[in-house]
Amino acid sequence: MKINSAFVEKVLTRFIRDELTKFGFTKGILGLSGGLDSAVCAVLAARALGAKNVLALIMPYGTGFSADIKDAAGLARALGIRKKTIDIAPQVDAYFLRFPTKSRVLKGNKMARERMSILYDFSAREKALILGTSNKTELLIGYGTIHGDMACAINPVGDLYKTQVRDLGAYLGVPGRIMKKQPTAGLWPGQTDEEEIGVTYAEIDAVLFELADQRKSRNEVIAGGFNAEVVDRIISLIKGSEFKRKLPPIAKISSRTVGHDFLYPYDWDK
Amino acid sequence: MKAVIVQMTPRLGDIKTNLDRHLGFLDRARKDKADLVVFPELGLTGYSLKDLVPDTALDTGRSPVFKELLAAGRGMSVVVGFVEERSDERGLFYNSAAFLANGKVLHVHRKVFLPTFGMFEEGKFFARGRDFIPFQAPFGKTGLMICRDFLQYGSSYLLFAGGAEVMIVISAAPGRGVAGPGGFETSHMWELMGEAMSYFSTAFVLYCNRTGFEDGVSFAGGSFIYSPKGERLARASDLDEEVLSCEFDMELVRQVRKKWTFKRDERPEIILHSLERIVRRHED
Repeated sequence: MKINSAFVEKVLTRFIRDELTKFGFTKGILGLSGGLDSAVCAVLAARALGAKNVLALIMPYGTGFSADIKDAAGLARALGIRKKTIDIAPQVDAYFLRFPTKSRVLKGNKMARERMSILYDFSAREKALILGTSNKTELLIGYGTIHGDMACAINPVGDLYKTQVRDLGAYLGVPGRIMKKQPTAGLWPGQTDEEEIGVTYAEIDAVLFELADQRKSRNEVIAGGFNAEVVDRIISLIKGSEFKRKLPPIAKISSRTVGHDFLYPYDWDK
Repeated sequence: MKAVIVQMTPRLGDIKTNLDRHLGFLDRARKDKADLVVFPELGLTGYSLKDLVPDTALDTGRSPVFKELLAAGRGMSVVVGFVEERSDERGLFYNSAAFLANGKVLHVHRKVFLPTFGMFEEGKFFARGRDFIPFQAPFGKTGLMICRDFLQYGSSYLLFAGGAEVMIVISAAPGRGVAGPGGFETSHMWELMGEAMSYFSTAFVLYCNRTGFEDGVSFAGGSFIYSPKGERLARASDLDEEVLSCEFDMELVRQVRKKWTFKRDERPEIILHSLERIVRRHED
């Protein structure tokens, strides 16, 4: 679980630079929430591309998250990256005026997809490639909105567990206020990930490390001292979210089918 | 003799660009009076080719690419990695290493051990090589291996038993594991193998790995040269392109083999006898 942060920084800054260059981009764009993951991505992007080549979109819903907006803006200023604040309330409210709901999850997903849609629009306007900020914990348990915050062009932090992102953040000098914050998807004011998932990140990551990295079975993980209920819950989260980690299955008819046996690298001719 | 290891980042699927860069490195190496220049596995094509494999295949005897490499490498020995399809084996594509010297292709090694598990899928796209054959290079008897070949310990043994004094390993090894000090944990593994195999074999081991990213995978670099007594003579940086140059004396093989008589005391007939028994039992 321990990472050599200095080396990880070297790998990830090269990854960002290399991918952007190959695809003919010089600029990167990302959503900056005021939380840890996007802060770490912003620092990596600034170091990889130069601060002037990074655009951070701060996209709050109304004014309910003023501390996060302040932290995001403060980080952008400290890094010297460009920033733009866009309140997504008007477009989200307009939609739910037509299709009202009391579900906080539906609202949260809609907000995540509005942010995605704005990011892709600005990506094209600015000719900037979108950096994803979903970490390995979120990807494995499916704690993200499909086609929302999980959408991106490249993801530098997707192979780092939340606790590893925190280690890297400390090494990179992410401000203490952001480091100390309770992780939140920002679905509603006061929401925290750990409360919603029902397990702490430290525990989720320790179990995920055993299951995914060490390839241990359920029983082996439990025999190692983890709570059976927690392990089962995490396994069911992983299984239930595989669809978020894959492109949708295509019904196979011909002998050569996209997604089955039409196999080319992502970096084809790049 | 002077060996140059070109730790480079090929452009995926783009033979023209990669050839131009190979030619550039060869020009520079000749000016630096190199005797041997080693390029990485699939250096002419990039690694994660998938269905591009048939489109990037070359025949050493017919391809103008090899004419250019032979011309640019004149006066030196050169090892290049490429996708091979021979005119007498149409439709079979090999992950190959060619050894060029004296204006001709002296030897071609086809990768025997094609990693096909987890992130690796070579067995899906390549035909398997069938042998490890040492050959007489201008500087001494030499054997070639490609990446995973070197991690299967029978490969080095066969080259050793066949008389190799120099083992050249070309590689496209992705880095994995970041818990250790230094670079990737897998780079440490490769170095351990280099140290052990050079010692076991009382032979020089030259390892040329590539750099750069393909589809998110980071090729680790960290190329190296070990002497016949397990001493690290040179090591390139992690992650970044580098031309690693190193001078050594082939006479060292003789010096070391006087002290460590592994080669003299080797009994391949016993190994063969045991292997035959093992293979027979497999067949039962």
